[in-house]
Amino acid sequence: MSPEIQLAGIHPRSEKLIELTRSYERAKTSWSQVEVQLEQDTKELVKLQKSLGIRHISDGALGWQDQLRPISRSLKGIESGTRYSRWFDTNTFYQKPIVVGKISAGETDPKNFLQTRLLAGEKNRKITLPGPYTFSQLSENKYYEKYPDLLFDIAAAEREIIKNLRNEGVLLFQLSEPCLVYQPYRETFRDESEVELALRAIRSVVENNPGEFVIQTYFGDASPIFSKLLDLPVRGIGIDLFETDVSSLSDQTSKTLVLGVVDSRESYVEDPRWIADTARKFREQVDVQDLVFASNSDLKFVPQGIANQKLEALSKASELFKGNR
Amino acid sequence: MSKLFPVQEIGSLAKPKWRTKGLRQPLSAQDLSEAEGWAEKLGIDDFHDRAKSILKTSDDKTRTKEVLELSTMYGLRLFETAGIDNDGVGGEQQRVEMYEHVIKAVQGMHLLGHVHSFDYKYFNKGVAESKISRKHPIYAPEFSDVKKYAHRAVKVPITGPYTLVDWSFSGYYVQKQRASSPKTRKIEAKREFLQDIVEQVVRPEIRDLVNAGASWIQIDEPAVTAHPEPQEMELFVEAWNETVRGFSCKFSDHTCYPSEIGYKVLAEYAPKLDKCDQLALEFANRDTSRLGVDASSREGYSDLKHFVDAGFSGEFGLGVAHVHDFTGNVSSGAGEAVGRDLIESPELVRDRLLYATKIVGNPAKIWANPDCGLRTRTWDVSFAKLANITKGAELAREAFE
Repeated sequence: MSPEIQLAGIHPRSEKLIELTRSYERAKTSWSQVEVQLEQDTKELVKLQKSLGIRHISDGALGWQDQLRPISRSLKGIESGTRYSRWFDTNTFYQKPIVVGKISAGETDPKNFLQTRLLAGEKNRKITLPGPYTFSQLSENKYYEKYPDLLFDIAAAEREIIKNLRNEGVLLFQLSEPCLVYQPYRETFRDESEVELALRAIRSVVENNPGEFVIQTYFGDASPIFSKLLDLPVRGIGIDLFETDVSSLSDQTSKTLVLGVVDSRESYVEDPRWIADTARKFREQVDVQDLVFASNSDLKFVPQGIANQKLEALSKASELFKGNR
Repeated sequence: MSKLFPVQEIGSLAKPKWRTKGLRQPLSAQDLSEAEGWAEKLGIDDFHDRAKSILKTSDDKTRTKEVLELSTMYGLRLFETAGIDNDGVGGEQQRVEMYEHVIKAVQGMHLLGHVHSFDYKYFNKGVAESKISRKHPIYAPEFSDVKKYAHRAVKVPITGPYTLVDWSFSGYYVQKQRASSPKTRKIEAKREFLQDIVEQVVRPEIRDLVNAGASWIQIDEPAVTAHPEPQEMELFVEAWNETVRGFSCKFSDHTCYPSEIGYKVLAEYAPKLDKCDQLALEFANRDTSRLGVDASSREGYSDLKHFVDAGFSGEFGLGVAHVHDFTGNVSSGAGEAVGRDLIESPELVRDRLLYATKIVGNPAKIWANPDCGLRTRTWDVSFAKLANITKGAELAREAFE
């Protein structure tokens, strides 16, 4: 079987949807007009995924204002809306969750997370959520005295949200954990005990929780913690091949590895032969059965036309990879 | 300037509807009614003559020129009426926005489409398709109008080379690299792209502005704090120093919304920036909305200490007013939340200035300004914020009398 292709996060909005949202913000367009286009964009994205043979279908989270917002709005103990912070080293921003009380899961409105109606016919739904460690790292803590208490309360709340989304038919949950591998914003490099703490928090989200899980890392080199990631009780581990030092990887795993092998931060569309070659070289290094081809992070960093071409390149690369195994 | 806590703007103001529409199509008297409403408030005495001329012209080019000139004058008057001391360029009325306005003037670059920035904000992102050069002057025509109409000192904000490169796709520059590591290819591409932007685009632009009489240029580099790695910071410093080399005018840097590490890394490198007389920085966004000059009330300003500790000896342009949507709580006396806006009280502005003075040590080194350009706020809100900054600066001044 050829490697599966997956969307790895938020997909870009179409120029038409962008124009309507801008016009909505200027009070020149009604929200219902925006919704019609949002649905249209989502339908087209679902159609594109199907045409490319993608098995786990995502709605592209086209309505999400940032990667944390739906979770922020679903948690008790969080305030947001006053501060914007930069999303890692990109030119995009997120509303910083401010922790002002004990965190627990509030009411989960599935509509805040995914376009349930438009995914009605899809059995293998995928959603991308921030992992508990990344969410806690990107929040501002004004309540907890001890960081582990914050982290594990976020994990417990996220576990509940995931259960609710599982009831809405989501099968595959990608928990994005860029903070596990991205370092520059930190004054000190995280030590082994902090990595262990983060992994324990992830475990507490996924263990005995129905659904399949992928832990996706990006914007940093996953090689220092790769073997630890492989020990997590999840279906797959994702790594950013534009940041990870592949030559230092040498493990063997029965897990699925999600290769972030197209760059969501550059506009040129990768040659499918290069993608397939890169994946082959990776497999010479790491003994793995199942590979997934994906972008290294959300494709929202490139215009929609380019994002779609990158998905097509992944699909062609998957065929080439299969043909030459 | 001997006055303590002078007030400046940072760059943009929202564009009035008549300015936006007037660039696309002929205007009606109805379209100009909003401008008429503001004319009296801003003291635009010849509004009716100018309106008549705009309405009667059938030539698109003439209308565009007149509309841009008038909107620049409105921006300048808004700043002056609010009481600020430096007019900037009247709210950047002649620019699309800080990035696209420049990229459109660069040979070899192509705008690819919009990418998400936050909420319903996007920017049209460009790619370098070949070696780049400047097609035509970018800011000089605007500066010519500003010189004609400004009643106060002006400074010209320009988008810095590091930010122009960082916000663009490298395209041509990354594809020509031969290093085997994708990471190395990217950094080498950035270096080469940056050198070309400095030499081919930004320096020729500064030369034109200085020759036209500009005495203060603010280089906007919001992207720099997104990359606190030493390799990137050294690239930034190298590009800055090359950009300002040989020019005799005041230079300042504006940076805002840093990544999680805050301004600590910029502070470390700021003393290495040649001729950087002022750092204008966003702080209010991260501060509390309650009065007080203690560290807890003014938590948003703690990073100032890093600059002092690192030995930066220039001025600070202190962000004392938030420029984005606000939905939090405001304590008594600190201001008023009106819809999605926070109008900071003069007392809150005063406390921010006084707290900053405690850290910096010398009140003569502190200017008051909004966190960033006010383009996302209405003119009513921008005016109210600027007027309160002016009043807050007066209150702070009184503390030193």
